[in-house]
Amino acid sequence: MRAFKILSPGIQTTIQDQGRHGLIKYGIPKSGAMDQRSFVIANLLLRNPDNAAALETTLPGLKLQALTKITISITGADLDPWVNDQPAPQYTAFTMREGDVLYFKKRKQGLRAYLAVQGGFDVLEVLGSRSTYIRGRIGAPLGAGEALSSCPFDREATEDVLTLPREYRPDFDRADPIRVLMGPQDDYFTPHGIETFLNSTYRISPQADRQGFRTEGPSIEIAKGPGIITDPIPPGSIQVPGDGKPIVLLRDAQVTGGYAKIAIVARVEMDSLGQMLPGGTIRFQRIDRQKALDLLYEETQRRNRIRDLLK
Amino acid sequence: MGNTYPVIRAVAEGSILVEYEEEVSLEVNRKTRQLAFGMEQRPCPGLQEVILTYRSVVVYFDSLVAKEETIRGLIEEVNANLVEIELPPPRLFRIPTTYSPAYGPDLDRVAEHTGLTPDEVIQLFSSQVYPVYFLGFICSLAYLGGVPEALHVPRLSTPRSFVPAGSVGFAGPQANVLPVDSPSGFNYIGCTFVAVYDPNQFPPTLIRPGDYIQCPAVSEEEAKLAGERHLGEFVESFQNT
Repeated sequence: MRAFKILSPGIQTTIQDQGRHGLIKYGIPKSGAMDQRSFVIANLLLRNPDNAAALETTLPGLKLQALTKITISITGADLDPWVNDQPAPQYTAFTMREGDVLYFKKRKQGLRAYLAVQGGFDVLEVLGSRSTYIRGRIGAPLGAGEALSSCPFDREATEDVLTLPREYRPDFDRADPIRVLMGPQDDYFTPHGIETFLNSTYRISPQADRQGFRTEGPSIEIAKGPGIITDPIPPGSIQVPGDGKPIVLLRDAQVTGGYAKIAIVARVEMDSLGQMLPGGTIRFQRIDRQKALDLLYEETQRRNRIRDLLK
Repeated sequence: MGNTYPVIRAVAEGSILVEYEEEVSLEVNRKTRQLAFGMEQRPCPGLQEVILTYRSVVVYFDSLVAKEETIRGLIEEVNANLVEIELPPPRLFRIPTTYSPAYGPDLDRVAEHTGLTPDEVIQLFSSQVYPVYFLGFICSLAYLGGVPEALHVPRLSTPRSFVPAGSVGFAGPQANVLPVDSPSGFNYIGCTFVAVYDPNQFPPTLIRPGDYIQCPAVSEEEAKLAGERHLGEFVESFQNT
């Protein structure tokens, strides 16, 4: 079904889902929505399958026109969406009429918003996912004039308007540090270097993208180096090249590399990382593995509650 | 320091890193391939993926499904019988390559650095077979080794921001055939038009760790004709001599 025409794609808008699985050994990263929590909520609001493809749009600017009557949801960053001359609801399913124009006006909080459509966006599945992976020539950012279709919605339509209560909506203006697990190569840095890493505020490069970001800030003192024998890079790895400034690697990053990894971001923080602003600041806090697992468990419980609320 | 290898340790919440001897050699790399191959024969709930590189293997698992100790136990079990794990027989990909000057921006520099003539560089490089240590980086990039010492040239001091897909080059003992347009600091002397990576197929490359690659010299015209053919048409069994 014809769904939307892109009037302006903004800075970058791509199709994403939960990503690719089992392809790292072929040098293909997971990709997928950078903020999986917001992405899945967008689908739950529409009673879509969790993995239905949605739009991920970075910063304001995206403008699109409904080509038919269509039910959608908007989650993630608050980019001040408007339909025609009215503010559009967020974290709430709503229906657009044919010809309505949806426009993301201004960033209020976070970086990436998700726009899901009943049935999910209909694009070709490549290697088991509809996620765009630009460097790998799988899909491409959306361009002006492009038309998007949605898949048939085969679940029972409902009359109730699903909305996520405020207390469950994430706050992207967090000031607390990002929690990390040290290693696997933290022994490549001096104790002083580790102190620097854990006690400094780093500035996120304005060139931050889906692959990751460089940072500016105090140099981490290196004990041995310059690098390691190239090994795997788990998502969330924080590698430190010769200049001592940490690089945080995200869902579209290369899967192997030769810089020592001082730490890896706790899994429970990955969605928050995807909402951090280029040019903003980041600090790191060390936690141990048990704490990380406890946090992950708590987060899973919280998501299950959201799932129950939106049933 | 008397490390006993492999060193097996948990990394982040959902992965275990297994490291064999700290060196780049086919002997050590073979162990990573055997461990990965062995692990793949042993499905286990929560086990997601096994990745190998030069000397290390990472096992990714879902920490909400599998316990770290379970995965670690499985790794130890497979590692204990490593020598008995038989790998699939290696294959040789002979990928027609043009070394015409238009495709080799670094040929003259390599010649100057090595004291060989450009023709000698091409002759030497194209006659060798290069073992695939693993696939990684992005888009199934094969990490090739075995560049003869006479051709050891350092990386460019400033990497190029754009090198076209198919470019064939090397730096130190390593070589590669770029699967997609990329920035790179390697020295590129030729180009193939055969697609080594195709995301619209599964698997996205036919090349496997443990295989060998050769880049025989052909004319530009032949190289372009070869580019219309599938990578699978250039594979043969590898006779180790």
